[in-house]
Amino acid sequence: MTDEAMPALQTSERVGRVVGVGHTSSQEFRAVLDEGAHLAVDDLVVVRTEVPGVGTLCTYGVVVESEATYEGAAYESDVHRIAGDYAMGGGLQPAAKVRTARVAVTRVDPEVWVAADPGEEVFRARGVDRDRALYADEMRHPLAVGRGRDGEPVYLDLDFFDGTKGGHMSIAGVSGVATKTTFAFFFVRLLAGHPELLGPSAANTRVLVFNVKGEDLLYLDRPGTEFTDDDAAAWRRLGVEPTPFALATPGLRASTPHATPGVPTVAYWAPLRAHAGDVLMPDVSGRADGVAVFTWTPREFIDEGLLEFVFTDATDARNQISFVEERVRAQLKRLAVDVLGASGAVVLREQNDREGGQRAVHARGPERVIRTLRDLADEIATHLEPEDGAEPDYAWSGRVQGGTVSAFMRRLHAASMDSRLGRLVRDGESHRIDRLAATVSVVAIQNLHDLAQRFVVGALLRETFRDKEESGQRLPLSIMVLDELNKYAPREGQSPLKEMLVDIAQRGRSLGVLMIGAQQSASRVAPDVLENASIRVTGRLDAAESERAEYGWMLPSTKARARLLKPGTMVLGQPAVPVPIVLNFPRVPWATRPDEVRREADADPFRGL
Amino acid sequence: MVRLYVEDWSPEYGAPFESDPDTLPGEVVVDTAVEVRGAWEPLPGRDDGVRRVAFVDGVQRIEARLTLDDPDTENDGGPLPGICAAYAVGASLWDREAGRSTFRDVTVGRVAVFGDAMLPDLPHVPGLDYVVEAAEGRDIPELRARLDRRRGQAEVATVLALLREGWFVVADGRLDDIGPHEAVGYIKSHHQSYLRPPESRIIGALRAGERTPVFLIPGHQFQRYSWYVRLAEIPYGHSWSGIARVEAPEAIGIERARVLADRTAALLPLAAMPLHLDARAPQNLVPIAALERELRRWLGDEGLVRRALRAAIHGAPAGAA
Repeated sequence: MTDEAMPALQTSERVGRVVGVGHTSSQEFRAVLDEGAHLAVDDLVVVRTEVPGVGTLCTYGVVVESEATYEGAAYESDVHRIAGDYAMGGGLQPAAKVRTARVAVTRVDPEVWVAADPGEEVFRARGVDRDRALYADEMRHPLAVGRGRDGEPVYLDLDFFDGTKGGHMSIAGVSGVATKTTFAFFFVRLLAGHPELLGPSAANTRVLVFNVKGEDLLYLDRPGTEFTDDDAAAWRRLGVEPTPFALATPGLRASTPHATPGVPTVAYWAPLRAHAGDVLMPDVSGRADGVAVFTWTPREFIDEGLLEFVFTDATDARNQISFVEERVRAQLKRLAVDVLGASGAVVLREQNDREGGQRAVHARGPERVIRTLRDLADEIATHLEPEDGAEPDYAWSGRVQGGTVSAFMRRLHAASMDSRLGRLVRDGESHRIDRLAATVSVVAIQNLHDLAQRFVVGALLRETFRDKEESGQRLPLSIMVLDELNKYAPREGQSPLKEMLVDIAQRGRSLGVLMIGAQQSASRVAPDVLENASIRVTGRLDAAESERAEYGWMLPSTKARARLLKPGTMVLGQPAVPVPIVLNFPRVPWATRPDEVRREADADPFRGL
Repeated sequence: MVRLYVEDWSPEYGAPFESDPDTLPGEVVVDTAVEVRGAWEPLPGRDDGVRRVAFVDGVQRIEARLTLDDPDTENDGGPLPGICAAYAVGASLWDREAGRSTFRDVTVGRVAVFGDAMLPDLPHVPGLDYVVEAAEGRDIPELRARLDRRRGQAEVATVLALLREGWFVVADGRLDDIGPHEAVGYIKSHHQSYLRPPESRIIGALRAGERTPVFLIPGHQFQRYSWYVRLAEIPYGHSWSGIARVEAPEAIGIERARVLADRTAALLPLAAMPLHLDARAPQNLVPIAALERELRRWLGDEGLVRRALRAAIHGAPAGAA
C-alpha cells in the first residue's frame, strides 16, 4: 500500500501544545513543538478546547510561520556559548532549543469564536480534520485543483466559480514563469474531467481563449515532452486521466478520430494571412493543420454593430469619436441590404427604395458593393467627407465639429488597412468562429495589430455574452480566458471593451459567462473587474506588486513567500476558505510551447505493445 | 486564640546578613607548603581532557514573613516571627564531547520556619508544599539559617548523585563536607585573602589560566585544599580582579588535588562570563549564571505565591489579594 492511499485512514498526530506566553486569540495562536515533531508553513493543525457551556471547540488553522530560538539565551553572543566551538568553551551555557509555529485560524467549530486554550495539544490535521480545516466538508461541489504541502488534495469550491455563489477567477503572477495560462487550462481540463460537478450540461461547457503571445496555446492537442510519469500520477490522484485536448477544428479531414467521451476538444481559429489570395490560409506559423480561418462578412459586421470595436483606444472615448461612431453604426444597420450573387456583401440603400421589400437586391450601376472593410470606409466617407467639399450629412455625423468627423474617418481608414482590421472582414462564405464546435476555442490573434486584437476580443466577448443573455440560462457555462487582462480592462480610461468586461464581471455570474483573467499585476486592472472575481490565484509576485491592496486577501507571510514561488506552485484564495492556501499542481500533458511538442514517434501510445 | 498573619512588608527586608559558620580567612593560618616548598611561582593550568563537568548551584527566596500571634499565651516574647521560603537546586551538565550543556536534577523545596521552637499548623496552600520547621531563637537570621541548611543539604545530595555518575562537579560556593570525592567548590568573592606576604604577592603575577600552588585550610572536622586561579585579565583591573578561589576536600590527597587544580585553572577561564554581559563578570561563570536564572524560574512567580499564601492563611479567595 502506498502513502497516497493512506490519507483517508490517517488520524491527526500530536505535534505540540498551544503557547501560553502572550495571548492566544481567536484569529491566531502559536504552537510550541514536541521534541522530534515539526510543523512547516502551510501545514494544517487542529486544537480541541473545552469551553464552558459550549463543549469541545475545534480550532482549525494553517501554519503561517515557523520559528525557532534558544530559550535561555539573553544575548546574541550567547549562541556561541551554547553551540559554539569546543576550543572557545562552546556548549558551556545550557539552553533549550525551542521550535514554534505561528498558526492563523481558519475555522472554529462550532462557530463560537473563542481563543484556543494555552497548553492544549496541537495536532497535525489529517483525514476528516484536514477536510474541515479547509472547509472541504462544506463544499457542495469541491474540485481538487492541486495538492497541499502535505501531499493531499486542495479543493476549490466550484460554487464560487460557476456562478452559484460567486464567479470568475483572477490569476496574477510575473510573466516568464508560464504558470498563469497553464494553470487556467489545467483548471479547465480538470473541470472537463469532472463532469459530475456541473451536472448534465457539463459536456456543453464552452471555453473561449485568445492566444496573444507566441503560439503557446496552439498545442493543447499535442502531447508535451515535459510531462512525466509523476505528473501523470498526480493527475490521477486529482481524479482525472491526463490526456491532451482532442482536436476538433471544423473542416478537418474525416479521418480525425472521433472525440472520446470525457476528453474535451479544442478548435483553433486564426485570421486570414494577409495577401493569401484565393486559398484561405490561417495566419499561424507553427502548425499546418487543424487551424480554421475566421472572418466576418460586411453583413455580419454591420448587423452586429462591430464598428464599435474599431474604436477601442482609450483616447477615442475622450474626443467625441464615439458619438459619430454610434450615428454611423445606426445608419449602416438601417440602410444595408444584401446583394444578390455576392453573399455577405451589402449595398446601402434607403428602405423605400428596395424593389418591393426584397431582402436582397441587384446592385445598380453607381452603387458601391461593400465587400471589404475598405469598401465600407470609402462608402462612409461619401457621407461624412463628401468629395465636393460640402458639409457632412447630419444623418451620419450628428452635430459634431468637423475635426471630430475627420478624426473618425482618419482612424477608420487606417483601421481598414489589411495589416490592421482589413483582413478580418471580407464577403463570401461565412467564416465566423463557431464557438460551439469544440470545448475550447483558441483564437490565435498574436499576429494581429493591437487594434485588431481588441476588435476580435470585443466582438467575440459580446457575441458570447449576448448569446447567454438571450438564452437566459446559466448552464451550460461559457468560460472566457483572457491573458493580459490589463490590456482590455485597464485601470485608467474608458473604452467599449472595458465597459463590456465590467458588465461581464458584474452580470456574467448569473448568466453563466465566467471570466478567467490573467495578468502580471492585478493593480493595473480595472477594480470593477477584479473585485468581482471570487476565486483568486497568484503565482510568483514581484515584491512591490505583492504589497498592493489588490493582494489584501493574502496573509503577510504568504505575500513574503509569493516572491519565491516556483512554477507549479500557486496561492489560492476563495470565499469559502478565509485564508489563502498554497498548492502545487502537476505539469500539463500537452505542450505549452512549440519546442515542447513531442514528435509523433515519441507520442505513439501503443509503443511497446 | 492563636492566629497566623502574613506581613505586608517585603519579605527580604533586613535579610542581607550572611552568617558564615566557617572560619574566616583572617583567623586561620594556612599551610602553604603542601604542594610547593619554598618560593611560589605561578603555575599554568592543564586540561586533562575531562569529559563531563557538572556545575551545581542553588537559589533561595523568602516568599513571605509570617507572624504567629497568641494573645492568651504566657509566653511574653510577643508575636512570633516566621518565614515562608523556597529554594531550588540543580545542575548544569557540560558534555564537552557533545559540545552542549543541559539542565538536570532541579529540585524545588519550600519551608516555613518559626522561632521559639514552635511548630504551628500551617494551612494547606494549594500547589505549594511547605515543610514546617522550628528554629531555637526568634531572629530572622536564625530562621534563615534553617533555610540555608535545607538548601545546602539539597546541594550536597545533588553533588553526591552526580559524583556517583562520574561527573566532575564544580559546586558554587564553599564546599560542604562531602567526604573523599573529587568535587571542587568555587568561590567568586573574597573579602580577605588566605595568603599573606610573601605568597600573596603571587596573585598580581597570575596570568589568565594560571593558578597559585595548592595550600591547605585547616579545620576541625573538614580540611580543604585550596588555590587561586585567574579567570581573565581585566583591563585596568586591580590585582585581585578576575581571581577566583577553588577548594577541594583534603581527603582526596595532594596528588589528586594538584590534578584538580591544574584542571580548574585551564577550564574555568573558558566558562568565565564576558565582562560586558554581567556586573559580576568574569567570576560569575556562564553555566552558573544560566543555572541560577533557570532555578529562579522554577521557584515560580513571587506575586502568585504570596497571593496563594495570603488566600490560604487569611481565608480570602485565591483570586483576590
